[in-house]
Amino acid sequence: MNVAVQKTKAERAIGEHFATVNGRLVEAAWAKSLRSDAFAHFQAFGLPHRRIEQWKYTDLRERLKEAFPPPLHAAGAPASWRQDVERALGPLAAIEAYRLVFLDGSFSAILSDVEPLLQWAEFVTLAQALRGDGARVRERLVTRGLDAAGAVRALNLAFMSDGAALTVRPGARVDRPVMLVFARVADTPAAITTRNIVTVGSGAELSLIEVHVALPGASPGGQENAATDLLLQRGANVRHVKCLPAGADGVHLSNTDAELGEGSFLRAFQMTLSGALVRNQLAIAFKGKGAKLDTSGAMLAAGSQHFDTTLFVDHEAPGGISRELYKSVLEGRARAVFQGKIIVHPGAQKTDGKQMAQGLMLSPEAEFDSKPELEIYADDVACGHGSTCAEIDPDLVFYCRSRGISEKEARALLVRSFIAEAVDKVEEEPVREALMALAEGWLQQRTT
Amino acid sequence: MLEVKNLHVKLAEEDKPILNGLSLSVPKGEVHAMMGPNGSGKSTLAYVLAGRSGYEVTEGDILWEGESILGLEPDERAARGVFLAFQYPMEIPGVSTLVFLRTAMNALRKKRGEKELNTAEFMRLLRERAGRLGIDVEMLKRPVNVGFSGGEKKRAEVLQMALLEPSLCVLDETDSGLDIDAVRIVADGVNALRSKGRAMLLITHYQRLLNYIVPDRVHVLAGGRIQKSGDKELAIELEKSGYAEFQSKAA
Repeated sequence: MNVAVQKTKAERAIGEHFATVNGRLVEAAWAKSLRSDAFAHFQAFGLPHRRIEQWKYTDLRERLKEAFPPPLHAAGAPASWRQDVERALGPLAAIEAYRLVFLDGSFSAILSDVEPLLQWAEFVTLAQALRGDGARVRERLVTRGLDAAGAVRALNLAFMSDGAALTVRPGARVDRPVMLVFARVADTPAAITTRNIVTVGSGAELSLIEVHVALPGASPGGQENAATDLLLQRGANVRHVKCLPAGADGVHLSNTDAELGEGSFLRAFQMTLSGALVRNQLAIAFKGKGAKLDTSGAMLAAGSQHFDTTLFVDHEAPGGISRELYKSVLEGRARAVFQGKIIVHPGAQKTDGKQMAQGLMLSPEAEFDSKPELEIYADDVACGHGSTCAEIDPDLVFYCRSRGISEKEARALLVRSFIAEAVDKVEEEPVREALMALAEGWLQQRTT
Repeated sequence: MLEVKNLHVKLAEEDKPILNGLSLSVPKGEVHAMMGPNGSGKSTLAYVLAGRSGYEVTEGDILWEGESILGLEPDERAARGVFLAFQYPMEIPGVSTLVFLRTAMNALRKKRGEKELNTAEFMRLLRERAGRLGIDVEMLKRPVNVGFSGGEKKRAEVLQMALLEPSLCVLDETDSGLDIDAVRIVADGVNALRSKGRAMLLITHYQRLLNYIVPDRVHVLAGGRIQKSGDKELAIELEKSGYAEFQSKAA
């Protein structure tokens, strides 16, 4: 039954923006039809609200007061913007990587390093793919299964402007990380929608870093709907680090969907240091047997920021190993949400899944919500979950102070060590160091 | 010199006194042992000397080098040369021991107006001190005390002492949980730090440690105060007779 619900201001605005965008696009018919279909799905349900279980702590219908229009121009950047990108990346700029840069959701060839990548991979921009026959991307861009909880996905399909469609060839080992940089440029708030589809062939290796920043002069507010598909074929080894460093504000809604082929390994890490409202949703499906997932993250929130990490780990195949470690540090009136659902299908025997969510509260008004969900339908599995929420241990502070370390420094040391346990999961040292440097910057700005 | 004058201490949230008029003097250059039955307040004395919160001093004073330290925070006391080797050293996951030691060293040096050590200088000093205690520097890359055995934790406390060079060392049951070999190594480390400029207070339940670290003076703490003081023979007597004589006073 479809209940006709009064549309909110934001929902109405989204409708108007869609009409404008759709009129402007020059794309293949299948793409246009896909967008309309996706938008119809969105219209049917509207923005998700708290009575939808997986949006219980992040009621978008209530929180999104307005919806910004998509950016107007397809940004063509002068090469001098390379410096702006460096600045915006901060410590991440030091990582030697092949960069693929998107400005206001549009690929910028001049700021990107595509050539060297081609020895290991095929690359097209999503925009190109949508104008053509959609090879490599089309099968991922589907509206099938979109329900009331899938509004953000539906909007991604309806509004996606560009992204990276990268296919790493079987057996290839890309010698440096590939860094996808999504930079906001416009000085008025806009809604940027991007979609990446990354396929890693059997036995291939890829390190992917995804960063969302705002260039100097860009509007502080803004909305972002970002989605990345990671398809790991048999024996593939992928590292994915997603970072929202300090400096970018606004709303960031993301979906990372991964499929793990037999014997493949995905190591994922998300660090969130900025944004008024952020939702990192990850859905990982174990498609082949004996695959492994190690996902962790750090949410550092202050003021009235609201960060939500929602995981769906789907053990469809047997012998899968999944590990989740999420740490939140909260001060002010900030709120962090962790929802972790693990589903073990019948037949997914010998599944080994562990989940841990921890909150470190630096102020009495901060809030940490942790919701594990385990649905286990096989009988030979080992699954566990845990959650803690605490203040800085005063005994540890005393121990540090008894060695001459000041209270402030002791607290910083302890918060840093709390975060480090998650960051230590990142394999590459330069990436780890950059992430800890970002955390350090956040710590320095702390009021408590 | 450490002077504890008629110290009365209770837990901040309770009424019952734990230390009930404890007076003690430990001059620099001397090692004093504080012995007593369990629950006598030995660890409380250690914590109060180090400045841990949660205790209330209702009467009396603690003077270090002629100045009261009661109003000072733990890191200020450390800057004045006070060091407490914990009975249960804390584990700090995620903070490498090396980083912790260097941070502590430089914090103290800064407070004392001394030049901070750079990494190379620090590592040189560390290797030397760690070597003497039979501690492998590789082990110090691990987070503070994480995965250390009891003996290793105690040795790490003594290493900290060797690096930070305090002038008042309070060792709280340093030998508890240690086997004979570990006790010997720890004792050697402590003995190597004995000097004219250093006062040491060994808090211990058992006499055994005092075979290795021979005290200049022995005190018995029971009923919240010093009941008896003597030389090292007193410790040997206590070993024979136990604390029964003092238990009634503890009631």
